[in-house]
Amino acid sequence: MALKKWLDRITLLDLFDGLSVTGRHLLKKKVTIEYPEQKKLPSDRFRGMFRLDEERCIKCTLCAIECPINIIYIDWHNEKDEQNKSVKVLDRFDVDLKRCMFCQLCEEACPTVPKSIWLTTKTYEMAAYDRNESLYLDIRKLTDWREAPNVKPFTVVERG
Amino acid sequence: MTLPPAFWTYLKVVLLVALVPAIVGFVVVLAERRLMGFMQARLGPNRVGPQGTLQGLADLLKLVTKEDITPSRAEKAVHSLAPVLAVIPALTALSVIPFGPPVRVGRTVVPLWVADVNIGLLFLLAITSIGVYGIILGGWSSNNKYSLLGGLRSAAQLVSYEVPMGLALVSVLLMTRSLSLVQSVRRQEAMHLWFVFPGLLAFFIYFVAGVAETNRNPFDLPEAESELVSGFNTEYSGVKFAFFFLGEYTAMIIISCVAVTVFFGGWLPPFPNVKALEFLWQVPPALWFLAKVAAFLFAYIWFRSTFPRYRFDQLMALGWKWLIPLALTNILLVAFAILLTPGWTTGLVWLGWTLGVLFVLAYLAAKLRQKLARRERLAAEPHPVEG
Amino acid sequence: MEAALRAAAGTMSDDKISQAEKDEAAYFAERAKAAAARAAEASAVTGTPPTLFDVQEMELNFGPQHPSTHGVLRIVLKVDGEKILEAKPDVGYLHRGTEKLFETETYPMGVPHTDRMDYVAAATNNHAYCLTIEKLLAVEVPRRAQLIRVILDELQRLSSHLVWLGTSGIDLGAVTPFWYAFREREQILDFFEEYCGARLTLNCMRIGGLPFDLTPGWTERVAEFVDDLPARIDEYEQLLTDNRIWKKRTVGIGVISGEECIEWGLTGPVIRASGVEWDLRRAQPYECYEELDFVVPTRQNGDTYDRYIVRVQEMRQSVRIVRQCLERLEPGEIRGKVPRVIKPVAEEVYASVESPKGELGFYCVSNGSNKPYRMHVRPPSFINLQALPRLAKGHLVSDLVALIGTIDIVLGEVDR
Repeated sequence: MALKKWLDRITLLDLFDGLSVTGRHLLKKKVTIEYPEQKKLPSDRFRGMFRLDEERCIKCTLCAIECPINIIYIDWHNEKDEQNKSVKVLDRFDVDLKRCMFCQLCEEACPTVPKSIWLTTKTYEMAAYDRNESLYLDIRKLTDWREAPNVKPFTVVERG
Repeated sequence: MTLPPAFWTYLKVVLLVALVPAIVGFVVVLAERRLMGFMQARLGPNRVGPQGTLQGLADLLKLVTKEDITPSRAEKAVHSLAPVLAVIPALTALSVIPFGPPVRVGRTVVPLWVADVNIGLLFLLAITSIGVYGIILGGWSSNNKYSLLGGLRSAAQLVSYEVPMGLALVSVLLMTRSLSLVQSVRRQEAMHLWFVFPGLLAFFIYFVAGVAETNRNPFDLPEAESELVSGFNTEYSGVKFAFFFLGEYTAMIIISCVAVTVFFGGWLPPFPNVKALEFLWQVPPALWFLAKVAAFLFAYIWFRSTFPRYRFDQLMALGWKWLIPLALTNILLVAFAILLTPGWTTGLVWLGWTLGVLFVLAYLAAKLRQKLARRERLAAEPHPVEG
Repeated sequence: MEAALRAAAGTMSDDKISQAEKDEAAYFAERAKAAAARAAEASAVTGTPPTLFDVQEMELNFGPQHPSTHGVLRIVLKVDGEKILEAKPDVGYLHRGTEKLFETETYPMGVPHTDRMDYVAAATNNHAYCLTIEKLLAVEVPRRAQLIRVILDELQRLSSHLVWLGTSGIDLGAVTPFWYAFREREQILDFFEEYCGARLTLNCMRIGGLPFDLTPGWTERVAEFVDDLPARIDEYEQLLTDNRIWKKRTVGIGVISGEECIEWGLTGPVIRASGVEWDLRRAQPYECYEELDFVVPTRQNGDTYDRYIVRVQEMRQSVRIVRQCLERLEPGEIRGKVPRVIKPVAEEVYASVESPKGELGFYCVSNGSNKPYRMHVRPPSFINLQALPRLAKGHLVSDLVALIGTIDIVLGEVDR
């Protein structure tokens, strides 16, 4: 046993083994995704940028109640429509995105079918120079938010 | 018209001082970063220029335009002197390296070395150890505890690894009978033998000590990033940092150059005396030299991406308890091989064969044993699902 | 030092020195005086005149911005040369008051906050929290949900151990395993993303079960991945396990015995490497761990190397567990019968899971309202970190790095 150990030691077997691993990888396929030119698309359930459908929303404020960090602000008032029925009209629906932790509890709380607020927009490129302006979403941004056009064309990399 | 010899010397000095930093910056650093990337299943820097070729320029621009900070309470003079001390000896040492045989330019014969000093190896050992002062003083003068620890580490490490390195070269001296580096190449040509074969142990010791001497992984203790936050150069920025960087990489190149010259036949192609391989002489000898140096630099990079780092005391133990005794034994071995056999070469050839064959056999045996042990272990392992 | 002495001697003109500089000078003068006193003491012992070199101890601040403290841990070291005489961890740089936060919110709203405790192992955090509230409500989790929870837990354990392997390799200077480990971790994160839509802060469990069912094809891809993984683990082992430098850096470093581990309350791979077979998945099985076949790896020496081996073997066992769970998966319910508004009876419960770092427990006091009255977390990282001064004493600064790595702390969990 001791002799075998010595054999390993003087022939530097362990070191050569290690070198062989890195040496093999030298020629193997690389796993880097070169980001702006190559992108891995998010999955269908990916939790990213918010979207709101004002038509579907019944102004129940459940999403604001369920939010763990209280970043959804909803104000509404009653109005009479043509049939003289009382309807709720949104004054304000704001999401303070810069504090959001993307837990999706608001979407889960939403009682409408399909959901009126959802995060599965597959958008994650939300970097901005001014967090208070760009990352504070009001109704206009929530309902009509568009991704910045891609400056460079990119190829899609397979997942997994 | 013949140019005076001094002209050629000046030209060579200028070329060396201008070229080596450029090669270091553009080729070696880029090669290191990209090859390490490849070994780590990633791409490495490939953005600046085609395939990242201009990365060196970008790095240089960054370092030059960076603010040069001297910490408060630092020893200002020493703090500025240290990087210079690290880089000047390294560049000076290049002067005795023979990059190739003399070439004919017009009617003059120009040797491809700045100076063929008859104490070449001694000069190299002496001048490269001055570089240690740069690191020690840089660590001490920064007024930073981590830098101080780095400097102290390097003081102990570099000083003690000079010893096995020198001893390893002594056994080569027995073979060359000259300290001149040009002579050692000529002797290898005359003896039909690269000295790495009889000097296998000497080469091993020399290279390990060389890696330690240049603070490279697995002996990069003075700058151990995860322990000492870059150690001695923590407080350096801008051009001063670039100087340390340059000094380190030039030292790497020198260690490789000496290894090639002394052990791997310098500018000689492989098997220079075999008739069938004579076409190898068609390649300019200087290219052979550069190729061999490149191979060594590749080994440096390979080591860096593979091995963990030794601890300070273990490093000292390795140096004093293993490498020095081994080097002394090796001197005896070579001396006896020369003394006990007729002629100068026979003993060395026999020694080369014995060492080589023994090592290969031992390695194969160890590998076989490892394979068998693994097979046994796999057979004993339970099935993943059934249990 | 010399500049400080000069300042102390008053060679700088006073009018040029601002108040801040004066304070600093006074501080250094005091230090110098104390050092001189220690030097005099030492010289009294040796009988030689005192010099600067007689100062034996140096105070070294290790962190909070040090690259090897895995976050924002600060350790105040007293070192003699490089030998550690005393190490004092100073925690709290990442304190966010999570426990207090739980008290202000209803029970379901607490789940996302647990993600941010041990942020490299969010699934086990979710699991421990949900398990506690389920125990409070006495809810039965459907079998399919149990199996999926176990799969998520074990995938999370794999990814957490991969992070540990990579970072502790880097701590000891081996940079390459990090990239290989993160390559595999990336695939695991892809599975999480496909299942719940997030990669790191998963929020992938709910009280009483799970938010989603699996997507089609998920199980096949996971099966394929875990079939590949053992070969990858072999690769890491080839780089490290037998490597003489790795062994030198880890064998015999930070030895702690099983009894001591129990006294300190250490759990997880740390206690198992000291020869105590304590794994909550075995000792007090939750979910469906009882019926699964796996080994709890233990080692006897209790040093850094053994902790490394235990974690690597645990990864292999996790692969086995995932495979078994995938085989047992059958269609069914994924959410138990939980009322829409959770108002448990006034009671106190404690439930814990085996997280990758050790025993992660939640202690919940309910007063009958829809918010917990008090929620306490038993974080394994924090409790394992206690042992650091004991482990580090007498070792070198280089070993401290190895020890921080081997305890496997996540500062988000230590400070909460």
